[in-house]
Amino acid sequence: MKNDELWLTLTIAAVWAVLAAVYAFVPSLGMPGYVRVWGGGAVLFLLLAGLLTAIGRKARQG
Amino acid sequence: MSSMSTPFAPAGSRSRLTARIAALPAADKALLKLLFGAALLALALGLAGGFVTALARAGALTFFPDDAYRILTLHGVSVFFYWLYLIQAALLLVLAAAENGRGLALRPVAWLGAALMLAGFGVSEWISATGTPLLYDGSPELAVDDPRSVGFFALGYLLLSAGLVASAVSGIATVLQPRLRGDADEFSSIGFALFAWAGFLVVSAIAATNAFLPGVLWSLGAGPFPADHGTEWHILFHNLHYLPLMATVLVWYVLTEHLTGVKSIHGARMSKIVFAAYLVFVPPTSLYHMFLEPNLSESVRVVGSLLSLFVSVPTLAAFAIIVSSLEASARARGASGLFGWMRGLPWDNPAMANMGWAAVNMMVGITFAFVLIQGELAPLLSDTFFVPGYFHFFAAGVLTQTFLAAMMVMLPAFGGGALWRPAVLTRMPALVTAGLVLFGAAGIAAGFMGVPRRVFDVSYGGVAPAAWPVLMALVGVGATVFAVAIAVTVYGVVRTLLSRRTPAFQASVVDWRAGPDGVGAAPAWTGPLSVAALVAAMYVFTIVAFQLIQSLPIIAVGGGHGH
Repeated sequence: MKNDELWLTLTIAAVWAVLAAVYAFVPSLGMPGYVRVWGGGAVLFLLLAGLLTAIGRKARQG
Repeated sequence: MSSMSTPFAPAGSRSRLTARIAALPAADKALLKLLFGAALLALALGLAGGFVTALARAGALTFFPDDAYRILTLHGVSVFFYWLYLIQAALLLVLAAAENGRGLALRPVAWLGAALMLAGFGVSEWISATGTPLLYDGSPELAVDDPRSVGFFALGYLLLSAGLVASAVSGIATVLQPRLRGDADEFSSIGFALFAWAGFLVVSAIAATNAFLPGVLWSLGAGPFPADHGTEWHILFHNLHYLPLMATVLVWYVLTEHLTGVKSIHGARMSKIVFAAYLVFVPPTSLYHMFLEPNLSESVRVVGSLLSLFVSVPTLAAFAIIVSSLEASARARGASGLFGWMRGLPWDNPAMANMGWAAVNMMVGITFAFVLIQGELAPLLSDTFFVPGYFHFFAAGVLTQTFLAAMMVMLPAFGGGALWRPAVLTRMPALVTAGLVLFGAAGIAAGFMGVPRRVFDVSYGGVAPAAWPVLMALVGVGATVFAVAIAVTVYGVVRTLLSRRTPAFQASVVDWRAGPDGVGAAPAWTGPLSVAALVAAMYVFTIVAFQLIQSLPIIAVGGGHGH
């Protein structure tokens, strides 16, 4: 399963993004810091997934 | 059991891990020794502060309140931040470099990270020693008339965070090197864990910036008073629970292979899923830190209680994988008995002893952690001595002993020196655990009885219950035992770091990689049974906690300051 790392990293990004969205769109929770941290984390893991994809593509091209 | 064959590695042989560490470039070794040394200094400072704090709580020493809180601040800042994060940075880099097999990538970035973290260490220790004591969470509300202390305290943590980001960037670049070279087309399970852990360190740095940048801006007159610090601290604090535990489990994986040759019998894919699970479960389980907020709605409290049950799933899954892999390998070599198979492990190796007792401490700590994080009990217990009573099982018993075990394996490989008195070091973990059991039992009982967490003089003019000073005296005795035992271990590890003496003998390891009976021929139940016993213990102690608290004539009011 060569793509395990990619889908696991994307899963992390997705879960964090959903949680950030919940905190962003339910103002009664009153925790904007959670949006910044989990949202920032979602972006970071999305970038890491992109990095894995780019390296995989580069490796395939030899 | 007596028929079991446990071949020992020949003297002088090196594992893949230690061989790769020994072969690191000199510049990497210098950086890593600097980080390990700084981490040990932070641990020594924190240990001294904690020991004095415990004696004061026991009534053996008396301080003016400001001095007492200053010592408590130095203890928390040194141990919870600088020991645990300097050692994590060091372990991330050394394991990444070993995984790469050719040293660190982006070495100047790694050095920059070390410089930033050490600058943060200096600033934090200095302001904690000279400024308003803010405790380890740096609450600005304790120094509304002293923005200088708030600003410098926050600056220390921001420097630490920036250093962790730089270390993580170097770590990620390093574990990607084999793929960039075309030597590998996927990560090993350890490589993926390092990759995810490094990402998590960066996110935690974002959380630290979110919590502490407002304090710096306020101190400079460039922003409003950070009134939301408590909430922002909770987010960071939640991450700070998971990060060292993820590091611990990763170290257990690495040490298990080093000490026994055994890798997970469940495959690399399962290990990667477990390591990813740490990150998947982080955000959803964060709500329980808000249980102390009096305005939290009942629906959020219920959802938070349900989600908190997932908090230890990754750690227990990793524990079960490691134990079942070891047991299955031992049984494939003919071992027998429910727990008898463990006798073949290299217990005379101090790293094995530390790791084994760390697992015992983890089971005790998790049991009481689950008592604490339940929605109905958290408001009653969170401001009591229950909290330090249980979390020292984690901080000292699990994390510190595990990271010291890693150093016992790695440091001799750096300079070819010898591990200091292995026979002495092997005995310390049991002593640490004995001290922790006394400290924890008395502290948890004191917490159930209402002894406050951060009040040094609990006599209340002689009207406090008669049991309180007795329990706190036992806390002091327990703390003395485990502090002395950890101090001996730290001394031994420092001597090892500085050693240039050729080792007279190699610390023992065993080779359980292949057995004549075949892995899986005999069932391996210890891991699942341990987890089942843990769940039963959590259930029992939760019932006991409710019974005890319902029998006390108290009314709880949410405090809201967090752990």
